[in-house]
Amino acid sequence: MANRFMCETLGAAGVGLSMALAAPVAFALPDILEIPARPTLLAPESLLNDATRAGERIVAVGERGHIIFSDDEGKTWVQGAVPVSLTLNAVDFGTEQHGWAVGHSGVVLHSSDGGENWALQLDGVQASELAMQSKEEQIADLEEQIEQAPDDEKADLEWALDDLQFTLENMQADLDVGPVNPFLDVWFEDDSHGFVVGAYGMILRTHDGGESWQDWAPKLDNPQSFHINSITQVTGGGLVAVGEAGKIHVSVDGGDTWTLRESPYTGSLFGVIGTGQVNEVITFGLRGNAFRSTDLGRSWTVVPNEGGATLNNGAVADDGRITLVGNGGAVLMSTDGGESFRVHFRNDREGVMAVVPLAETNLLLVGESGVKHTDARGRNPN
Amino acid sequence: MSNPKHDRGEHYLTTPKAEPFLERLIFNNRVLILVGFLILTLFLGYNAIKIQPDASFERMIPLEHPYIVNMLEHRDDLDNLGNFVRIAVAVEDGDIFTADYMETLQQITDEVFYLNGVDRSGLKSLWTSNVRWVEVTEQGFQGGTVIPDGYDGSRESLEELRQNVLRSPEVGRLISDNFRSTIVYAPLYEKNPETGEALDYGEFSRQLEEKIRDKYQAQNPDVSIHIVGFAKKVGDLIEGIASIAWFAGITILMTTLLLFWYSRCIAGTLVPVFTSIVAVFLQLGTLRLLGYGLDPYSVLVPFLVFAIGISHGVQIVNAMAVEAAKGFDAVTSARLAFRALYIPGMLALISDAFGFLTLVFIEIDVIRDLAIAAGLGVAFVIITNLVLHVLLMSYIGISRGGVKHVQNHGEKQDRKWRVMSYFSHPGVAPISLLIAVIGLGLGLYYKQDLKVGDLDEGAPELRADSRYNLDNSYIINNYSTSADVLVVMVKTQEEQCTQYNVLRAMDQLQWELQNTPGVQSSASLADVSKMVTKALNEGSWKWYEISRNQTIINASIREAPAGLINTTCDLTPVLVFLEDHKAETLETVVERVEEFSSTYSNDEHTFLLAAGNAGIEAATNEVIAGAKDLMLILVYSVVSLLCFLTFRSIRAVACIVIPLGLTSILCEAIMAVSGIGIKVATLPVIALGVGIGVDYGIYIYSKLEKFLLEGKTLQDAYYETLRSTGKAVIFTGITLGLGVVTWIFSPIKFQADMGFLLFFMFLWNMVGAIWLLPALARFLLRPDKMLAKARAVK
Repeated sequence: MANRFMCETLGAAGVGLSMALAAPVAFALPDILEIPARPTLLAPESLLNDATRAGERIVAVGERGHIIFSDDEGKTWVQGAVPVSLTLNAVDFGTEQHGWAVGHSGVVLHSSDGGENWALQLDGVQASELAMQSKEEQIADLEEQIEQAPDDEKADLEWALDDLQFTLENMQADLDVGPVNPFLDVWFEDDSHGFVVGAYGMILRTHDGGESWQDWAPKLDNPQSFHINSITQVTGGGLVAVGEAGKIHVSVDGGDTWTLRESPYTGSLFGVIGTGQVNEVITFGLRGNAFRSTDLGRSWTVVPNEGGATLNNGAVADDGRITLVGNGGAVLMSTDGGESFRVHFRNDREGVMAVVPLAETNLLLVGESGVKHTDARGRNPN
Repeated sequence: MSNPKHDRGEHYLTTPKAEPFLERLIFNNRVLILVGFLILTLFLGYNAIKIQPDASFERMIPLEHPYIVNMLEHRDDLDNLGNFVRIAVAVEDGDIFTADYMETLQQITDEVFYLNGVDRSGLKSLWTSNVRWVEVTEQGFQGGTVIPDGYDGSRESLEELRQNVLRSPEVGRLISDNFRSTIVYAPLYEKNPETGEALDYGEFSRQLEEKIRDKYQAQNPDVSIHIVGFAKKVGDLIEGIASIAWFAGITILMTTLLLFWYSRCIAGTLVPVFTSIVAVFLQLGTLRLLGYGLDPYSVLVPFLVFAIGISHGVQIVNAMAVEAAKGFDAVTSARLAFRALYIPGMLALISDAFGFLTLVFIEIDVIRDLAIAAGLGVAFVIITNLVLHVLLMSYIGISRGGVKHVQNHGEKQDRKWRVMSYFSHPGVAPISLLIAVIGLGLGLYYKQDLKVGDLDEGAPELRADSRYNLDNSYIINNYSTSADVLVVMVKTQEEQCTQYNVLRAMDQLQWELQNTPGVQSSASLADVSKMVTKALNEGSWKWYEISRNQTIINASIREAPAGLINTTCDLTPVLVFLEDHKAETLETVVERVEEFSSTYSNDEHTFLLAAGNAGIEAATNEVIAGAKDLMLILVYSVVSLLCFLTFRSIRAVACIVIPLGLTSILCEAIMAVSGIGIKVATLPVIALGVGIGVDYGIYIYSKLEKFLLEGKTLQDAYYETLRSTGKAVIFTGITLGLGVVTWIFSPIKFQADMGFLLFFMFLWNMVGAIWLLPALARFLLRPDKMLAKARAVK
């Protein structure tokens, strides 16, 4: 892929020179979906939105199609070969070898070699088409229902139909512009089963490692198409997806069916993590709002913290300590299973997007300006 | 000097058969000519006094270079990007969150607000209402001015201020990373929009010093103030020009003393000084009448004119003293001196003038101005030196002391000249040549490292340890900013400058450049769009991308800084911040941009180079590098041709020009070794050095030829040459050197560089003429053939 791009560029440059004396040369830049990520030493210092473990390896993704991995706990990094150069938002590995990364323009990338080489599995156009197809099916179903329904229920059903048709029109309008919407998170159980979630209620499911995808949006109670920001599995097997307007969706059957939980919050929730205990989950979002549940989201308690900074992501270390990270350099640490947190703001005040626990309670943070090594509180090592 | 009778009819050149026409014309109308000079001097001198300093920016850049053409064409669209001053107010102890500091900062902000020339609507500091903090909340954005409402300097309100500062996007921009200084940012008007008056940089800079720096540093000893910006730099340059007056005084004093030591005759000292000063006044007056001002380059020309005037005046004083020593009266010795010197003198001066005029071919106005100013000056030296000087001396005459000095001194020095005449000895000459060849080899070796452009950090016009450059490095070290900016202009169809494809292409170019060595960072509308799109999505970095949705793009750039979109939205800049302005850095970056531009410029977007100081330097470097060889060829051709026309011998040309060539090469090697690049300031040095340096060779050769034609052996002829004119030539080298050596102390870096190099060239050319010329003559000249030819002509 990289070589092909070079050839195209050089070819274009050559032709450009030879035609320079004629009229202005018209070479449109290829679409960002077709420009491979440039190999660069700057990737570990540029925006990184997520990081995860692939076995012992650490893999991080970020802007301009950057995917980097490290086999020495984040000391040195190697850049993977990625066929697109748009902002990537999340990465997850179902096994040591098989991983998926998602991002803008609705891309889903797959690696089967632990993050070294990546291939495009899905883009936003295909994702929209899938979503529109299932909307059309829903509309057809609904129209059938309306015909058979008793008169007093028709009005309500027709409202729902209107909503669906309106959503479909919006999707069509978006698709006319291009693959406009990003995926925001990805979760894989193993090398074949997983979900990707994203803007405007996008959620797709695969059973064959991404060879084919099903639009799963109809299975969620999300008629207003709120963004789904994060998805995770908690100990005990429950799946939790959170998003805009405080929406919390839970599945206890491996993702087949989903129920909307009653939410303690109406603002955006950006992340959700399990604490390591069965059915225990913490979700968090705008302005430091964080909530904890011990019953897979049936009831919630507020997690007090002084920070007030938007929280983006979190991780649980082997020793059970929980770290949440957020904007303004916020690093929150809990040693009591998430009941309470101590807040530290990093001096650089840069947004932190994800955290990977390292040995000896140290942390690897990724965010606004790449990779940072810190102690357990988020402070730079001396 | 030999007996004039003996000279009669011997040589077409140095001793014409009878009184030449010019001599009769001048000496028969002495009073009339002097009155004419008086009137001319009064008129032009009056104009000279009124000449104004002028550091016009446009004159220093190559206006015909395509980059500059692009820049000037779009100058109105880019206006406020470049012209601003940044005033960093730093605390000595503690941090900025104290009541004292904030009060001083407020006063400074107010003071700057009322400075003439400041675009008040764009003024930014912690105290202006356009500096805000913003926070995303469930309801949308929340924000306010960084100075909290009801600020009263109490601990609570200072703490609130600290919080606001941390929430604002200004850390690293308006507030230093270590919270020990903040910036007052003041965009400036080139032209006052109300009165249409152009900004007076000198006055503006003075006001910054008086009303801001001096006043508040005195008022609050805990703060220090650092000011940078184009206007401040130009102000400092103008101030630097003023210090030239001191140098002028010192130069005149030193020259006068030297001249008196040389001639031991008050008239022989004061008259050359006086006539040389007259030449300077004539030159300056004429410049003013032609509409020129004094820029930091042309302000140096009077020094050259003065030095040239003195050095040629010395020849006349010397010749007159020699004649007077033989017993001739003042008028006769003046006439004889004129007769002996007017052809070599004129030839030397004309070759000076032509040497300078070759600079006209460099497409940079200051260099052309320099050429014209220097050419004019030399033209005036021809008349003041060969006419005014001689006429004045014909009334006054050389004093008895002066004559005695020539007689005594001459005898004492004979031994020295005898020793030096061995330079032409068949045993010594090959050694000299060998040394010259080794010197040439070393010169060629070291000159490989010669670089184009400015090599030092900071503002290259000023010294590294100047206050401006210290301020500059303070700001670079404490803020996320670079002083070297290259601006790529992105041209689109009207109202299309914010289209997705345009932003995408800019972003692509930026990443290409950020991966280019020497590039620190870059900024454009694409960054603004990404940043605001992120902010509009509740501050989530996962939305940090250019949206494909034009409506979102439009929303994201609604509040973009004015400089990033022009009024018709068909031009938007990409700012590229560089690590330095070394020529290689500039070349690499410019090359990448041109490559990208030639590939991806199309109907939607064309990428034009270049604005910003780095863009201008890149263009200047290209012009300079291209002009260097052309100029060398021209100046050497002109000098060689003039020598050939006079002496009618290729061998003579070789004798005179080869030492010059050696000096030129050594000069370039010295530049390479001492880290002086070829730039606007140093390029003219080569032409000036050769143009003036040839004088020595001409004086020496014309005498040497004369004595050879008298039938003397080469070494005897050279001994006689040294006796008669060697002292004057050595003196000339020293006076010329003195004329420029004071520049080395100039606060303006390029003046110092010019002074250093010219000093070297003037002295070394003199050494070349005295030492290498006779050695070359040993190998090149055929005295028998020359004699035979001269007889044949007769």
